[in-house]
Amino acid sequence: MSRTDSAAAAAETASGTEVVLAVRGLGAGYGRKRVVHDVSLALGEREVLLMLGHNGAGKTTLLRAIFGLGKPMGGSVSYHGRDITGRKAAENVTDGLAYVPQGHGVFRTLSVADNLELGGFVEPRSALLAERRERVFELFPILAERRSQTAGTLSGGQQQMLAIGMALMHEPRVILLDEPSIGLAPNLVERVMQAVVTINRTMGVAILMVEQNVQLSLPIAQRALVLKTGAVVYDGPPDPLRDHVELMKLF
Amino acid sequence: MEYLLHIAVMVCLYSILATSFNLLIGFAGLFALSQAAFYGLGAYTTAILLVDVGLPFPLPLIASAVVGAGVGTLLALPALRIVGDYLVVVTLAFQIILVEVAMNWTGLTGGTDGISGVPNYQVFGLSLDSPTSFLPVALLVAALCFWIAWRLATSPFGRSLRAMRENESAAVSVGKNVVAMKLVVFAFSAGLAAVAGSLFARYFNYVGADSFLIEETIYILAMVILGGAGNLVGSVLGAAILVILPELLKFIALPVDIADKSRLVLYGLVMVAILIYRPQGLLGERKTQARTRASSGPGGGEAAAVPLRASAGAAARGRTIEGRGLAKQFGGIVAISSLDIRLEPGTITGLIGPNGAGKTTAFNLLTGFLKPTGGEVLLDGSSTGALKPYELARAGVARSFQDLRLFTKMTVLENVLVALPGQVGDSVFSVYFRPAAVRRDEAANVRRAREVLAFVGLEEQLHETAENLSYAEEKLLVVARLLATGADVLLFDEPLSGLDGATLQEIFPVMRRLAESGKTVCIIEHNLDVIKELCSVVYYLDEGHAMAVGRPEELMADPELAERYFR
Amino acid sequence: MDLFLQLFFNGLTNGSYYALLGVGFGLIFATTKIVHFAYGPIFACAAYAAWWAASLGVPLPLAGVFAVAVAAVLGVASFLVIYRPIQVRGAPGLVALIASLGLFILLENLLGIVFGAGNKVIENVNYDVFFLGPVFFTSIHLWQIASLAILGGALFLFLRYTRFGKAIVAMTDNREMAEIIGIDTTRMAIAVFAIGSALSAVPAVLILLKDGATTHMGFQAVFMAFVTVVVGGIGSIRGAVVGGFALGLVQSLGLWKIPTEWQSSIAFVVLFLILVARPQGLFGASRL
Repeated sequence: MSRTDSAAAAAETASGTEVVLAVRGLGAGYGRKRVVHDVSLALGEREVLLMLGHNGAGKTTLLRAIFGLGKPMGGSVSYHGRDITGRKAAENVTDGLAYVPQGHGVFRTLSVADNLELGGFVEPRSALLAERRERVFELFPILAERRSQTAGTLSGGQQQMLAIGMALMHEPRVILLDEPSIGLAPNLVERVMQAVVTINRTMGVAILMVEQNVQLSLPIAQRALVLKTGAVVYDGPPDPLRDHVELMKLF
Repeated sequence: MEYLLHIAVMVCLYSILATSFNLLIGFAGLFALSQAAFYGLGAYTTAILLVDVGLPFPLPLIASAVVGAGVGTLLALPALRIVGDYLVVVTLAFQIILVEVAMNWTGLTGGTDGISGVPNYQVFGLSLDSPTSFLPVALLVAALCFWIAWRLATSPFGRSLRAMRENESAAVSVGKNVVAMKLVVFAFSAGLAAVAGSLFARYFNYVGADSFLIEETIYILAMVILGGAGNLVGSVLGAAILVILPELLKFIALPVDIADKSRLVLYGLVMVAILIYRPQGLLGERKTQARTRASSGPGGGEAAAVPLRASAGAAARGRTIEGRGLAKQFGGIVAISSLDIRLEPGTITGLIGPNGAGKTTAFNLLTGFLKPTGGEVLLDGSSTGALKPYELARAGVARSFQDLRLFTKMTVLENVLVALPGQVGDSVFSVYFRPAAVRRDEAANVRRAREVLAFVGLEEQLHETAENLSYAEEKLLVVARLLATGADVLLFDEPLSGLDGATLQEIFPVMRRLAESGKTVCIIEHNLDVIKELCSVVYYLDEGHAMAVGRPEELMADPELAERYFR
Repeated sequence: MDLFLQLFFNGLTNGSYYALLGVGFGLIFATTKIVHFAYGPIFACAAYAAWWAASLGVPLPLAGVFAVAVAAVLGVASFLVIYRPIQVRGAPGLVALIASLGLFILLENLLGIVFGAGNKVIENVNYDVFFLGPVFFTSIHLWQIASLAILGGALFLFLRYTRFGKAIVAMTDNREMAEIIGIDTTRMAIAVFAIGSALSAVPAVLILLKDGATTHMGFQAVFMAFVTVVVGGIGSIRGAVVGGFALGLVQSLGLWKIPTEWQSSIAFVVLFLILVARPQGLFGASRL
């Protein structure tokens, strides 16, 4: 069985639902250099798919290539069965795909409120935006308190919440979440993971999450993927990875 | 005929200007827009010394070079704190100031009238007053200037310059004094441009400020870009093309004024077109293979058995580095607080902890890349507070970077060569006055570098450009570069992540032997198997300080830590 | 004292001229990270366009509109034809800067070829002369100050309160994030080149009325704009205004004690010292 088949099969067994985002044989890199080789994966509807891998394994490059930042070097990405390979990020956002980059994906010199408003840039109807903003404030009450504060002066955890909140402002169906725990204290990581669960369970958003914090991210994932030097070396249920010896073998 | 020879003289002048400018922008990566100012400085110096003072040959020429180099250094001193676009503004302002001074200091420079009546060269009573008689001198001086630039660019010093251009902090981490290097290259570049200015004064018998405007700097830049930044032959070619090409316009009957402007339009077009369609220039940067190939000794199999001692010098001196009560804040964010850490010779110490725990910051503090806001770092008991990072590297404390910071446009061999300590050819004096010693040392260095590379298994890729390596190969090159520094304290920031099991099995013995030979080794690592395999002491860092210290098994058995991190 | 007041006023008018130039240049620089040297010759092209239109008998206000259009078109063209291909390739920022220097000499000398050398002036410009105590000024001086107040203010409101303007500010803050939230950064860059270049046409026309136009006027304009931005802090209208006035006043008040011929040198020396002492600008980066 080829890797593509296994990925697709795993998606179906994990969630039993339709595949929203399918990546086939994707290659990616920067400049002339290829960092990601022939990666295939499938993200099911309402699924949390966790992607693990060492520093430099190509996780971020992969997410960026899926999202249309940086040109893919071969392979394809499809979203709800339509080919979106190399499509402009702006179009993906309009279409319900969101990307939360690693480490403080916010506009540091702007206020929290402005950041959230910009998060909904592709939605010109302000009434809808106000509604969504309320939902973000419900999820992260601290952002409501700090709404007029400059984003750069927020703590790392609050910035991460804001970054996720901005993604929610364009009401995505799929979020690509790049290492939300980076640089956060353990209790904040838990807080962020809870939010991820809420977004997934109550808003029904499918999430492809890159993480290094195995301990806190494994429990919320329905399926896990391990990337090593740009290729998928594990794709299956998260449970076997709980044994860290097993995991370390994969790293 | 006279006309053709005149063009040849102009090609000589511009070759000097373009090669000297290329040293600065192509090799050192310093984008300063004041080359025409130094050109003018040289011209005025010669003119004033000849007309007002009447100094005999060759004093005005030498004086021009010295004044150019001196003013270049003076400009560089403050300007070097400034990088990128800001360096452009500062040097641009300098260029304008110099022209203003030439225009307004009437007593010295003749103001807008300039200085005329600069005497011709006299050789055996013959006055070199025509292109025909002047050309040999121009050729001779241009050849000499080219040799000076070539020698510098192709020396180990030139290699260090390119390394600095590729990644300044990595150059510092292998012990390069980048400030001194910048001053030297500024001085050479300005000095050579001033020599071209001296020739200008002699050839035209006249010096006026409007020959040295900012536009002139842009023309010279166009020549460098056309030929290829980082390629000196390219600069000569670029100068020749851009001097000759506009002359062809003269065959079209145009009013003088328009012909002159068309030349400039042509320059602009060439620059823009080259940057869009062939950004590396006509020739592109030269790969420096030939020299290293020629001097290559036996590599491969046998060398791999003994390389460590060869690369690391004799047995290490056994040095202890210690951080006491280290603290570091960025703005209001505490990255490190009251961290005590002690790295002993002959041991491999592991640094583990979650992302953002302060591991890399700890490395930055130990190696002087960051100054602590509290506490101090001691090397063998004495404070390193006054040492700059490059001095610490030379004193034997070297580090690698998590994001690798290879010299990407240089070859694998060059990456390692740059890092070798105490190179004769890193001294500019030796480059010119002790060529034999530089050659011998370079040959030995190439052998050492090849040994180090054979040791990490990169001997096949010696002449590959670093940017073309795979991720695992890049990691190996990082290790090789760090080993090449011959430092006694080696701090590896995630050296092994992403390497496969087989490669790890090859690297482990390397690390162990480093420690056995008395080196002080510290690694930041996430892979606990690696930690267990290698380390005798482990620091668990979290929230900026050491939460636990002990043998790996002890730490992994600690239920609280296991809860926090391992599980 | 009278001299001082006059010089102070001159400093203010020159300062508003520099500030407006700096606002346009700074907007382009902060948003696209391109050091757009060709801003200078495009500024000159605007002045020449106005002169040409006026010499054909077009009324002055219309000639001004024509100048604005010419500048905007040239600005957008330079982005699309030159900078964009270079940026798309992922080349370092200095490459675009070098290309802009090439474009600079190209445009400057094309102007010279098309219009010939010499100062182009519009004859019979009607302007009023005022005396306020010892201070002498003309309506053109007032226009220089007013144009900064009006255009600077309008740009501020546009960036602060419109969706499009906020998107530009977002791009200034973090280009990649702007792309991630769905802003079409290429379209924004085109808009910014149009706005920034159009802004430069206004001071260009005023200078044409005041002193006439020469092919070399572009270099001084872009250099002063660049310095204004660096002194005031990048990415900030307020910074450009403060930087522009600081520059104008230093240059003008320098005359109080220093011989005329050294006027510009002194300004440059002061600038040089400021740049060396505080390369991040006097006020650092602040928003808007």
